[in-house]
Amino acid sequence: MDTKRVTNALALGFLWVAAGSTVLILGTLIGYVFIKGVGSLSLSFIFTAPQGVKAEGGIWPTIVATVYVTTLAMLIVTPVAVLAAVYLAEYAVQGRAVRLIRFAADTLASVPSIVMGLFGFALFVEAMHFGFSMLSAALALSFLMLPIVMRTTEEAIRAVPKYIRWGSYGLGATKWQTVRRTVLPAAMPRIITGIILATGRAVGETAVVIYTMGTSINLPLSPLDTGRSMTTHLYILATEGINLPTAYGTALLLMIMILSFNLIARYIVRRNRRMQG
Amino acid sequence: MRDRGSVFRRLLAALAALAVLATAGCSRGDASATRLAVTGSTTILPIAEVSAEMFQKAHPGTRVLVSGVGSSAGIESVSQGSADIGTSSRDLKPAEAGLGLVDTPIAYDAIAVIVNPGNPVRGLTTEQIRDIFEGRITNWKQVGGLDMPMGLVNRDEASGTREAFSNLVLKGKPFDPQAAVLPGTGQVRSVVAGTRSAIGYISYGFVTSEVRALAVDGVEPSPATTADGKYPIGRVLHFLTKGAPTGLAKEYIDFVLSPAIQTKVIADAGFIGIAGKAR
Amino acid sequence: MSAERKTPQAAGDTQDRAAAASEPDAARDPGDLRLISRATYLKEKALQNLFLACAFVAVAGVLLIFLFVGLRGWPIFAKVGLWRFLTGTRWLPSQGFFGVATMIANSFLVMLGALVFGTPLALGTAVFLSEVASPRVRAVVRPAVELLAGIPSVIYGFFGLIVLRPFIAAWSNSLGLGLLTVSLVLAVMIVPTIAAISEDAMRSLSPGIREASYAMGATTWQTIWRVLLPAAKIGIIDAVILGMGRAIGETMAVVMVAGNAPVVPHSLFQPLLTVTAAIVMDMSYASGDHRTALFGLAIILFVISMSFVAALRLLSRIGGGEE
Repeated sequence: MDTKRVTNALALGFLWVAAGSTVLILGTLIGYVFIKGVGSLSLSFIFTAPQGVKAEGGIWPTIVATVYVTTLAMLIVTPVAVLAAVYLAEYAVQGRAVRLIRFAADTLASVPSIVMGLFGFALFVEAMHFGFSMLSAALALSFLMLPIVMRTTEEAIRAVPKYIRWGSYGLGATKWQTVRRTVLPAAMPRIITGIILATGRAVGETAVVIYTMGTSINLPLSPLDTGRSMTTHLYILATEGINLPTAYGTALLLMIMILSFNLIARYIVRRNRRMQG
Repeated sequence: MRDRGSVFRRLLAALAALAVLATAGCSRGDASATRLAVTGSTTILPIAEVSAEMFQKAHPGTRVLVSGVGSSAGIESVSQGSADIGTSSRDLKPAEAGLGLVDTPIAYDAIAVIVNPGNPVRGLTTEQIRDIFEGRITNWKQVGGLDMPMGLVNRDEASGTREAFSNLVLKGKPFDPQAAVLPGTGQVRSVVAGTRSAIGYISYGFVTSEVRALAVDGVEPSPATTADGKYPIGRVLHFLTKGAPTGLAKEYIDFVLSPAIQTKVIADAGFIGIAGKAR
Repeated sequence: MSAERKTPQAAGDTQDRAAAASEPDAARDPGDLRLISRATYLKEKALQNLFLACAFVAVAGVLLIFLFVGLRGWPIFAKVGLWRFLTGTRWLPSQGFFGVATMIANSFLVMLGALVFGTPLALGTAVFLSEVASPRVRAVVRPAVELLAGIPSVIYGFFGLIVLRPFIAAWSNSLGLGLLTVSLVLAVMIVPTIAAISEDAMRSLSPGIREASYAMGATTWQTIWRVLLPAAKIGIIDAVILGMGRAIGETMAVVMVAGNAPVVPHSLFQPLLTVTAAIVMDMSYASGDHRTALFGLAIILFVISMSFVAALRLLSRIGGGEE
């Protein structure tokens, strides 16, 4: 009788320790980057380019490159992923084709990023002659984002209650009219959440962009321009040891960006849930 | 609710159209006269980048793109034509002699053997260093230090510094395969700075107070001993072009060789200007 | 809530089941449209095919990866022989030795290390979240897990290099680069993956079995250990397999803290080279056979990660069949 209670107490203690450790690790990571990096953050850090042998100055070109390639990837992947999810959720009949598509999506989701980077290099940089460019990197990133957006969009569409569709069909609408005018708008908040989360993942990628975007510091204007992303900049600064304070500043800025994506996504979900009652 | 979806879709279409227009409006081929691609050694990267900035300011309308992944990559790129200038912190290998590359030395550099400041050993001979990096000496007490196993730190194979060190010290013999291999000067320096038993090698220009550079054969590394050749592990930093440099590449190289860069930027970086060598 | 999942792989099978449940919708309309107008019917059919094409982009992606990475790497298999490539233990590309067995072994070692440290931590957190945490505590811990998932791998590597390595170096009298350090860093990286999916698996168990267990006088832990975990077994195994995939495919963090020596380590504190680190360190300058060999390594890595996914789907189908 007593061992039962003691085991229970010990086990529950372990669970608390496990969860507490996870939170502690997160806090340590964020806190460390924050403390070391906050001193570097300033308006000039964000808006000026690196200068000098020690990469003093700011990281503006890398911020532009990161935002540019991520936006481009988002534009490329969203129509394809949303329409693919529409197919899976609304039109698909269970069968081999659908299983194949899901297997492919799962495979893409767990491709090691270096394999994706080499793939992007072989296909977009060399075979299609785009060279090291925003376009090559965006295309490679969109393959990475595709399964995530497909998955969350499909779930969002399935979460739309059936009676909404029946009302539309009852009025004589075709399937596409129903999807376009009632289902998709209703699922929109969660779809956007999925896109935002996938974008957050893309922002944090390094191996993929090194082999598709290149590593030169350059302010990209056209999609065929090369550039250096913030993650690449962080990696180079850390391995070459040129400028640690800047490295921490870049890391902090990166984490702030990704954190805000996360918070915006949660806010949208929460607002949507409240509206749906 | 009715129009939300279509507004979103129209916005998407507009942005996509913008992206297409942006792509169409810019072509790749027109820039060769005003664009320069410089790639190669990570040791040379900082001075190449700063010179590039200053060059672009002095010659508005030009774009100099500098990247650094390793001397071997630079040599590869320039011989294949994907870069205009390849930078290298090592000499060309015999196998690379037939690539038609023309070498313009731009600075001299020493390779410092670094240890942790808490390590009592202050100097070694080239034979000892060779034995250590080949894996024959494995404990500090064998070279007059404390009784602790050596933490050997090597550079990755893409590194010109590694190649130069291998040629100058190991004379082509293989490194100890159990040595840790780190992809960057900063990592080597950081690990050596934080571990008492560590020993590694980096460009002298990158030595900071967090590590100690050993004296080799009794000579401390410094700009003076590199310039007059007394320090035994010295090397040339190269700019390589396919054929003699012409056009924008020539202007850039001349710019790097100009006194302004040589005395300010290169010295700032801890290297020795071309003119400074007494040989 | 499910929209927030970062790596919602395990839902693949639930989606198949949900799709089956909503089939009647799919069968109804195209037939009716013929009564409206042929033009509308054609338009709807065309749109449906467009959407199908979009869905097939995923399949196209996988095929393209095989094509462009595999074809680039194929010559080395032809030259050296696939068997010799996979089982050779000498990796000295500059001298023509292309044996990758050491690196594959090291990759698996590192994955095992990550699982050893990460699985208890992740499962503990997941069980805590689903069974023990009050809503207020949950509101703190669950976002923490999701945020951990969003931190870029470079930052993990950075942290491992600057903070963890000196600590381990001092403690073990070594360089601090090796199996232990890598395992710890990777363990933290795979915790969000394993925890999120395991937690979902446990939450989706019917509340009835919990009530039945408690009604018989079991403690919380007894319920968890003897009833819930076995019931959620498939979902948890799913989660662990996904964590395995993540661990074996990680590059940037590994190359910064593993030490990258092309040998199989004898201790937890000796440097070791994994497949991913080998590719990223040599890719920048490799040419000819060396570069081909790197593509060969990449395709092998891709096949390994794809077989994890296949194992996962197989398990889901077996598990689904049991119900």
